[in-house]
Amino acid sequence: MDPFDQLGRDQTRRQFLGRSTKGIGVVALASLLNEGRLLGASPDSVAVGPLDTEGALPHLHFAPRAKRVIYLFMSGGPSHLDLFDPKPALTKRTGEDLPPSVRMGQRITGMTSGQAHLPMVGAAAAFKKFGKNGVELCEHLPHLGSIVDDVCLIRSVTSDPINHDPAVTYVLTGNQQPGRPTIGSWLSYGLGSVNKNLPEFVVLLSGGGGQPLQTRYWGQGFLPSRYQGVPFRSHGDPVLYVSNPPGIDGPTRRRMLDAVRELNEIELDSVGDPEIATRINAYEMAYRMQAGVPELMDIAREPKAMLEMYGAEPGKSSFANNCLLARRLSERGVRFVQLYHRDWDHHGNLPVELKRQCDATDRSAAALVRDLKQRGLLDETLVIWGGEFGRTAYSQGAITKNSFGRDHHPRCYSIWMAGGGIKPGLVYGKTDDLGYNVAENPVPVHDLHATILHCLGVDHTKLTYRFQGRDFRLTDVEGTVLKPLLA
Amino acid sequence: MPSRHASNPRVRGLMRRLLVASFLSVGWVAGGAFAVAAETPAVDFNREVRPILAEHCYACHGPDARARKADLRLDSKDDAFRKRKDHAVVVAGKPDESELIDRVTTDDPTAHMPPKKFGKPLDPRQVETLKRWVASGAKWDGHWSFITPKNPSTPAVSNPGWPRNDIDRFVLARLDHEGLKPMPEADKETLLRRATLDLAGLPPTLAEIDAFLADKAPDAYEKAVDRLLASPRYGEHQARIWLDSARYADTNGYHIDNHRDIWKYREWVIDAFNRDMPFDQMTVEQIAGDLLPNATTSQKVATGFHRNVMVTFEGGADPEEYLTKYVGDRVSTTATVYLGLTLACAECHDHKYDPLTQKDYYRMYAFFNTIDEKGLDGNYDSPMPRLKLPTEDQRRELTDLRAQESRLDELLKGRLPLVDAAQAKWEAEQASRRAGNAWTVLDPARAESRGKAILTKQSDLSLLASGPNPEKDVYEIEARTPARGLTAIRLEALTDASLAKKSTGRSENGNFVLTGVEVEATSANGAEPWRRVELARAEADFAQTDGPFAIENAIDNDPATGWAVDGHNRSESRVAMFVAKTPFGYDSGTKIRVRLKFESIYGRHAIGRARLSFATAAAPSLKETLPPAVLAALQTEASKRTAAQVNVLRDYYRGSVSGDAKRLRDEFEALKKLEAERDKLIPSTMVMSEMSQPRKTFLLKRGDFRTKGEELTAAVPASLPPLPKGVPANRLGLARWLVDRSNPLTARVTVNRFWQQFFGVGIVKTANDFGTQGEWPTHPELLDRLAVDFMESGWKIKRLHKMIVTSATYRQSTHASKSLRERDPDNRLLARGPRHRLDAEVIRDLALSVSGLMNPTIGGPSVYPYQPPGLWEEVAIGGNFSSQSYVQSHGNDLYRRGLYVYWKRSVPYPPLATFDAPSREFCITARPRTNTPLQALVLMNDPAFLETARGLAARVLKEGGGDDRARLEYAFRLCLGRRPNDRERAVLGRALEGERKHFRLDPKGAAALTAVGESPRPLDIDPAELAAWTAVGNILLNLDETITKG
Repeated sequence: MDPFDQLGRDQTRRQFLGRSTKGIGVVALASLLNEGRLLGASPDSVAVGPLDTEGALPHLHFAPRAKRVIYLFMSGGPSHLDLFDPKPALTKRTGEDLPPSVRMGQRITGMTSGQAHLPMVGAAAAFKKFGKNGVELCEHLPHLGSIVDDVCLIRSVTSDPINHDPAVTYVLTGNQQPGRPTIGSWLSYGLGSVNKNLPEFVVLLSGGGGQPLQTRYWGQGFLPSRYQGVPFRSHGDPVLYVSNPPGIDGPTRRRMLDAVRELNEIELDSVGDPEIATRINAYEMAYRMQAGVPELMDIAREPKAMLEMYGAEPGKSSFANNCLLARRLSERGVRFVQLYHRDWDHHGNLPVELKRQCDATDRSAAALVRDLKQRGLLDETLVIWGGEFGRTAYSQGAITKNSFGRDHHPRCYSIWMAGGGIKPGLVYGKTDDLGYNVAENPVPVHDLHATILHCLGVDHTKLTYRFQGRDFRLTDVEGTVLKPLLA
Repeated sequence: MPSRHASNPRVRGLMRRLLVASFLSVGWVAGGAFAVAAETPAVDFNREVRPILAEHCYACHGPDARARKADLRLDSKDDAFRKRKDHAVVVAGKPDESELIDRVTTDDPTAHMPPKKFGKPLDPRQVETLKRWVASGAKWDGHWSFITPKNPSTPAVSNPGWPRNDIDRFVLARLDHEGLKPMPEADKETLLRRATLDLAGLPPTLAEIDAFLADKAPDAYEKAVDRLLASPRYGEHQARIWLDSARYADTNGYHIDNHRDIWKYREWVIDAFNRDMPFDQMTVEQIAGDLLPNATTSQKVATGFHRNVMVTFEGGADPEEYLTKYVGDRVSTTATVYLGLTLACAECHDHKYDPLTQKDYYRMYAFFNTIDEKGLDGNYDSPMPRLKLPTEDQRRELTDLRAQESRLDELLKGRLPLVDAAQAKWEAEQASRRAGNAWTVLDPARAESRGKAILTKQSDLSLLASGPNPEKDVYEIEARTPARGLTAIRLEALTDASLAKKSTGRSENGNFVLTGVEVEATSANGAEPWRRVELARAEADFAQTDGPFAIENAIDNDPATGWAVDGHNRSESRVAMFVAKTPFGYDSGTKIRVRLKFESIYGRHAIGRARLSFATAAAPSLKETLPPAVLAALQTEASKRTAAQVNVLRDYYRGSVSGDAKRLRDEFEALKKLEAERDKLIPSTMVMSEMSQPRKTFLLKRGDFRTKGEELTAAVPASLPPLPKGVPANRLGLARWLVDRSNPLTARVTVNRFWQQFFGVGIVKTANDFGTQGEWPTHPELLDRLAVDFMESGWKIKRLHKMIVTSATYRQSTHASKSLRERDPDNRLLARGPRHRLDAEVIRDLALSVSGLMNPTIGGPSVYPYQPPGLWEEVAIGGNFSSQSYVQSHGNDLYRRGLYVYWKRSVPYPPLATFDAPSREFCITARPRTNTPLQALVLMNDPAFLETARGLAARVLKEGGGDDRARLEYAFRLCLGRRPNDRERAVLGRALEGERKHFRLDPKGAAALTAVGESPRPLDIDPAELAAWTAVGNILLNLDETITKG
């Protein structure tokens, strides 16, 4: 039975849509009713003009270069000095104390503030040149090296908080204090959904230990809760409660839902509250998710060569599997996919741990970019790789040949981006000889956010939400679009 | 045009314009989306003009001094009317002479206001309003909510027969103006279900429905309401709503997000509502119960309200920085919950819209900046300060135990002639045995501290540390011995009078944390290189147990963990040994280098006095060794022993050597252990208490804790009435001020929040913002009437709730006409009854209640219902911290009401979170109500909801009558509180028949479905029948009407 015919029986769709009720439900309903149009829309048809995706923005502010984002979040603070930003001077001066003229009184964490010395230490591994421009990267990142011509490497991101929780909160929400929406929530609020069966904002966790994550890292803050990220899980139910319980098979569930719908329709007849119609459709969407999500999450159907390219193994919880899933989600139009990989917090034993994390992530992240490119999706998908801060030029604890550590360092760090309107093959920004301060072209977090929104066709000053009497935005009162980064 | 979310700014603007137009056309004027207005043509400043100025002008001409341009304030009458050089911005009655009007109408782009680049132009209607306002005399009022409410007169209404109380007169007056009529009263079943869900948070039972239907008395409904108000379920339900404002949770929130004990505060709230504690008293006890004269335990427990702030223990974080977050959260929560003000906006700069300065913020901050709390806390126990709460029985048991202990202790300390004689003999034996002591003390040849501490050799060859005490330190000690074949190194941490508490560690509390031990050796003649000695194991006479402090942690190469000895509580010498994997040493003699590392997050925790020894025995043992203090006493001639040494020897002998005395000693220790165990069972709860030396409060520039401005003392915001006469300028004074009759906000904000509970939206829609940016009240006189009445009748909550639910307004049917629904989709005018989806916990409780599974226990610690595996673990840091992995409850705890579900802030319980329960990281005063597919999945597939469906099925089959029709009706009534109509009966009948047929053919499926959940499956019911009815139960629990209050 077609649910939409049922809906149309007593009140026309137009009547439902013409009304501003409690709102959120109606949005979902509208997107259902618009499904044909959305599905029929060619991928290139989104341009400056009315948005047909039921976001809060009436239209995009610029022609978008990206339609969606895949954010590979590297939690813990990957070391820019060992991965992306070669500093021969640091190697040469290993063991010497960081000069106060460089540190300039910058606060340091309670983990190294008691050290009598802040001995500088050079990179844990050699740097090698990659790509047409000979971009220098850590030798543990050969796969990134192989796509470096498609990548924009930024060596001058600068942030402020020195501890994980506030720093992650800052880089994801633009504010250190919890309570604001994350980027993914802002975008799903502003731009809405292009897929009727999937959430706009999906979260994938690598598994394994490291710094703790909080649900609010993909939270909607003060936005309505439908804009929060939905974790898709690699064990158990791929989406919580999506599987029928033991003893209820697909046809039984369908029959039960038919009865639910019929009874809800009787109620709708009698009461006339459009929220009831919204609920009816929410159930239909839930039913479609029951079929669609497990299919989506089943990477075993991918060709063997594809699995190998990513290093993915069906059934595991891994960053590799999640990269492959990110591509599958992007293909289906999911607006914002955020991966979380933990364990980059290398206070000690950095040479060993760094290699371990490179091995766990390098191949898959590069495969994702390569795969998107070969499918023609890279141009419209913005891939971001980065964490919450960099690491100190000096060692935490003693330096030995095979072991040293680095503390948190928000003053400068490196990330990379690819696709979605970002200039490929660019290395942007410079740090000083010791990798401690930004020397050229700083990229404050708010500028990064403004630039990401710009790629999606959004003016960061115009994506706002009124809360407690104030119009809030991702970039707070800051933010400048970094034109040199744009393709 | 597809309709969008009401928060969409564009749509909001459009809505406002449309509404303004329609109101104007019937003689109403409007400032906000739903303003109510007087009928006079004179412009109402507060309703019409101030919102325009606030939105379009205050950013540069408002309260924020730093952002102010042209030295002009449009939020201050004096400044706006002030005579400037040759003009005034506002000249009453003369638009042509008022620069305000000139600036908003001029064609000169350089003079035009608001400036184009500001991006918030005025529309012609707004300009017209400003003109009319000036022309009509430019009457100026303070912001409405800052003016103390007066009791408004009750308006005349068109139908005096309709109102049941004054609420209805105000509502009907508005409807009269709108040309609308109220809906008739809802039928009795609907009404009872509505009131029961609103007051008790549960559906009515069939007995309650039947009794109510049978009661034909005119006051049958009032009686039912009284019954509900007296039910203990009332207190639970009201508490659950308040706990959102109080941001109650069971974990610390930041980073590690481990466990805290504060559920006693939740019990306090439940009890306060059930006892109908007046709201002013509730306020005083929660804000400052500890400061009341002769504060009771209950009044102290109440102060948990402001201990519900999140707390961090992230390694390396700055305690001072986090203290500002804790205190700031108290300021912002107090302002939100009681004042409906966004005071947090003034943390970094003066408020942009409301008359609240940054100084006001930090003066309020000073009230809460005196709590005896730590910036980093909550690692292994709840953050301090805490209060232990023994029951009478527990208190008695502990007193008994302690009495027994002291009797034994006296015995053990006194003379025991036989034992004492044996001791003298033993002492003599020891003296001769000491010669063959297996441990040889090393004489340090070099000792250095990496952190520049001074290590001075003592006569007993120990090293005493003094001088600089850095956060982290490493001691490097070298010594030489002719011996070879060394098997172990022994480390003694000795007490010393120069150390805090005369204990063993250098920290301020007397403790130490040894995070690493490294041993290296070379030949005494220097022919060999230094070689690392691999350590196989470590052993100590004692280790602290409240964290990862075992001795093994000293050799695990992890600076995060180490050996600690409770040195802050017990000033006793300690000993540990480190056994080499293989014996080491050289024929020419051996040089030994030992590194002792103190690198934990506990800063300055180095050993204060250390002594090293070695053994060559094949199986070195600490047990062979007498404790250092005993040895020292033995080495002292008997006549020269101090009293303390005599005691040490006697205690040791009686405790460890003498069999007779040891029995007494063992008994004593057993009692001690029992006491400790019993003590651990006593619940504790986080409370407020003042520091003996309060912190000073400074204005923090840009809100940054590193940039202190001027020092400030506690005071309330200058634009609000001052503290009442005679109250102190502390938390208690603040609490009294909040509920003082002169406070214009608290009562209004509170009654509005209660109104919102029953009607879905407050009279002021922005329940958390009564400032100039907040929305206008739809029924301002009603709000003031309720507020004044609330205060004057003694802040009685049950009285207010009764007034609301017995009003004709509340009792209306929700079956609105299409045209009414279109005219007033959010029911702000109240021409129909309230209808909205139930809150998350109520949905859970409803399912538990109708299934017969609900456990009615009130209070106690939180419980852990079914949850998909891995949710906590996949994001947790793990380790020894609490609340890192989910251990599900069993038995009756699975069926507690939603307010008792464990509230982990970083991973909220999904079935509740999906239905918009907040994370409780911060105070929220209104939950959103969404309607999503994920909610459908919860109700369809969460084992808790399937088990309740099965419980419902079993119940119906046992109690519901003899045939399908009767049983279906029974089940339907349980869930929806009414009888099904014919169409509904037909659908359900078909569904039952279909599933019965299906499960008869699928016995495996039937068995599987009815096995979901841990409650026992009734064995006397045919599984296929039970499964079919479970499916029907699941259908009923998924209905929109079931989860809606209608």
